[in-house]
Amino acid sequence: MSRSSLWPWVLAAVAVALGVLGTVLNVLAGSHGEPALQWALGAIVTLASCGVGLLVAVRRPGHPIGWLLIANAVLLGTFAVSEPYAAYALQEQPGALPGPEWAVLWDQSAWPLLFAVLIAIAFVFPDGRLPSPRWRRVVFAAAAAVVVFLVLSFFDSAPFEAPYEDVDKPLPGLPGVFGLLWPLAFLGMLAGLVAGAQAVRVRFRRATGIERLQLKWLAYTAVLVPLTLLVCITGALATGSGDDGDVFTVVFVFMLGAIPTSVGVAVLRYRLYDIDRFINRTLVYGVLTLLLAGTYAAITLLVATGVGSGSAWPTAVATLLVAVAFRPLRARVQDVVDRRFSRARYDARTRIVGFLDDLRAGRAAPEAIEPLLREVLSDPRLELRFFLPESELYVDARGWPADDRAEDGRVRTPITRAGLPLGMVLHSLVEEERPGLLEEVVEAAGLAIEIARLRVELRRQLDEVEASRARIVSAGYEERRRLERDLHDGAQQRLISIGLALRHAQHELGDSPERAGESIDGAVREIEVAAGELQELARGVRPAQLDAGLTPALRELAARAPVPVQVRANGERFPQQLEAAAYFIASEGLTNAVKHSAARQVTLSAERLNGTLAISISDDGIGGATPNRGSGLRGLADRAAAHGGTLVIESERDHGTVLTVELPCE
Amino acid sequence: MRVAIAEDQVLLREGLARLFEDGGHEVVASLPDAEHLPAAVAGHRPDLVVLDVRMPPTFTDEGARAAKQLKEEHPELGVLVLSQHVETAHAVELVSQGGFGYLLKNRVLDVGAFLAAAERVAAGGSALDPQVVASLVSPGSAGDDPLAALSGREREVLELMAEGLTNAGIAKRLVLSERTVEAHVRSVLMKLSIPESGDSHRRVLAVLAHLTAAQIQY
Repeated sequence: MSRSSLWPWVLAAVAVALGVLGTVLNVLAGSHGEPALQWALGAIVTLASCGVGLLVAVRRPGHPIGWLLIANAVLLGTFAVSEPYAAYALQEQPGALPGPEWAVLWDQSAWPLLFAVLIAIAFVFPDGRLPSPRWRRVVFAAAAAVVVFLVLSFFDSAPFEAPYEDVDKPLPGLPGVFGLLWPLAFLGMLAGLVAGAQAVRVRFRRATGIERLQLKWLAYTAVLVPLTLLVCITGALATGSGDDGDVFTVVFVFMLGAIPTSVGVAVLRYRLYDIDRFINRTLVYGVLTLLLAGTYAAITLLVATGVGSGSAWPTAVATLLVAVAFRPLRARVQDVVDRRFSRARYDARTRIVGFLDDLRAGRAAPEAIEPLLREVLSDPRLELRFFLPESELYVDARGWPADDRAEDGRVRTPITRAGLPLGMVLHSLVEEERPGLLEEVVEAAGLAIEIARLRVELRRQLDEVEASRARIVSAGYEERRRLERDLHDGAQQRLISIGLALRHAQHELGDSPERAGESIDGAVREIEVAAGELQELARGVRPAQLDAGLTPALRELAARAPVPVQVRANGERFPQQLEAAAYFIASEGLTNAVKHSAARQVTLSAERLNGTLAISISDDGIGGATPNRGSGLRGLADRAAAHGGTLVIESERDHGTVLTVELPCE
Repeated sequence: MRVAIAEDQVLLREGLARLFEDGGHEVVASLPDAEHLPAAVAGHRPDLVVLDVRMPPTFTDEGARAAKQLKEEHPELGVLVLSQHVETAHAVELVSQGGFGYLLKNRVLDVGAFLAAAERVAAGGSALDPQVVASLVSPGSAGDDPLAALSGREREVLELMAEGLTNAGIAKRLVLSERTVEAHVRSVLMKLSIPESGDSHRRVLAVLAHLTAAQIQY
């Protein structure tokens, strides 16, 4: 245990020791001591403040609340000693103990310190900081009031209050003029209390969710304390009686007890400062240690009686058994402790485990993990995002890219599995409520999330395949339409006009046979043109050169192109379908290069590469081609995908375009 | 006969013009699209307009729409629409108005029949391409096909009636006597429950109405 974590224990021990000492003195003081009930009340308040303070100070040594609570307990302890000390040494057994006048002085003058601690708690609860930097001035003013009040109290020239009016004051009294400061200091302290209440109120109004619940109790107390105090004072002033002792004591005890209790409620009930986990761990390991130590002792004893003492066997066997038992035992104990002390954590884990069982048995769809997480973490705004490594996109459960604005106030917690990003959880701020619960639940649900992610990925790929299939079908339909148009408007009309020319020639044979020859010549020329058109059309359907192989087909393609085209291919043959696909990809790529990239030189290449037929079309044009602009590249990608291949586009602006398609050819 | 031609393909347009001129008709206008056709018709007052269904700018049904418009503006004008392929819907809708013809382009090569059909349309008669008629007359799959009651010869007569031919024309085409044809026509009309009429155009309408109604049934 380090030095810093030792201090809370030391101070708490001091507080407890003072309380015990005070109790002894109170008993000794007999009838002059405090009544037992009142004493017990004071003891409970002291112990509560001490316990909560100790818990917080050990867990969060850097946090002032723990220290303030312990200070409160130590202060209460000093009063627990000073009051019966004076009663015993001055009334029950006069002269029995030294310096009783100091005890009276402390008892009657130091109480503003208690207010100071309570105001400080009100100022900094729960995060340990002031509500805003502007509050610093208020703190200084309140501190000044307390200091003045303390000085005035300790150096008051008036005699002690009853029953110690006759006791000599150990400190000199201040001149009478300082008496003028009394009302000022008193009002200053009162203002400090009101300011403390106001600080809590401000925080309470700003707070949301769990922080609001944590503040609720303190907010009530903080408002009630100055109110009650005011009522008492006005009551005392109105009646003019100085005998307000009973009422004052009740208010005082109520106030002293209420504030540590509210802090305690916030800490324990609303899991402030992560204390519940701490208690949980302590319980688990405490029980575990006891169980294992017991087992160890029992086995050692048992085996030792069997084989005789002095042997190393009992120790070895016991160690082995205890080591083997550790993990399952820990899980069991944790389960029991969780069920008893961390219901939410236990429930969440049980639900997730049950869900995973359902998932394995096929009773649940992995996508149902999202609503389940929402329910288990009671966060209706929770959503899962799945990471798709291929497109490096985050998508929702439907597979649509998520358009999440950073300012929607949700926290993004990444989910990883085996070091790889799986996705992320978008959730409301619940961290203070159940620290670590989200991470724990998400980790437990990792398998389901991974499966859901794979399914989303698969669905997206299927959608893409479906879309590309639809595009291929519609491209095929477009192609047929174009062919129909070409045949009807081209070849058919030309043939009809040839027919008409021949009819005309037939007609001319009667009137002017010499001109019929010209008409027939014209008709024959038309037939030649028609034949050329049909040939071109047929090449569009499937180039005859492909029969000779991909390389000659590409060379013919290059020869007919309107720009210089270089062909790099070694004449290797591939399966017919593959050659046809490669040819059309090259043809479309070349058309694209000529049409869209203002290329002056194009290179077509086709070669076998790592079990694929790699076709590349590179030009020296303007670049900047993307698969989304212009359906030409989309069509190419579809054609490649239809053969199980891939299309890669390198097209930096002003640096030309290289299209590379790899078609598997094993 | 004064003829106006609208056809986007130069060779075909010229061929058609020569065809009509060789047949002794006068071609008063020859246009590459349907856009200026109404003006040409208003200016030259032709007896017959021959036009292509598909023309610029969209190459869909410019000709058909122009034909309809011309017919509305000049009910007495004969309009002959030429098409690359059978489009039954257009064909029937247009022909049932009378003074309308709808023929496939291939028909122009049978010069005699084509010119006869063109003259018939110019005179207010009808001309429906045999392929269109065939697609209407072809038996449906249902059992109660009214045409099933017709004999082979009667069916031939019906088709020629639908094409718009007169009894004399049918007799000539089928190489039968006109009396025999008359008997067949009576029998066909009776079997299809169509009232007899001396007007060949109204007869065509009745037959077409019957056939299209039958078509819709199937």
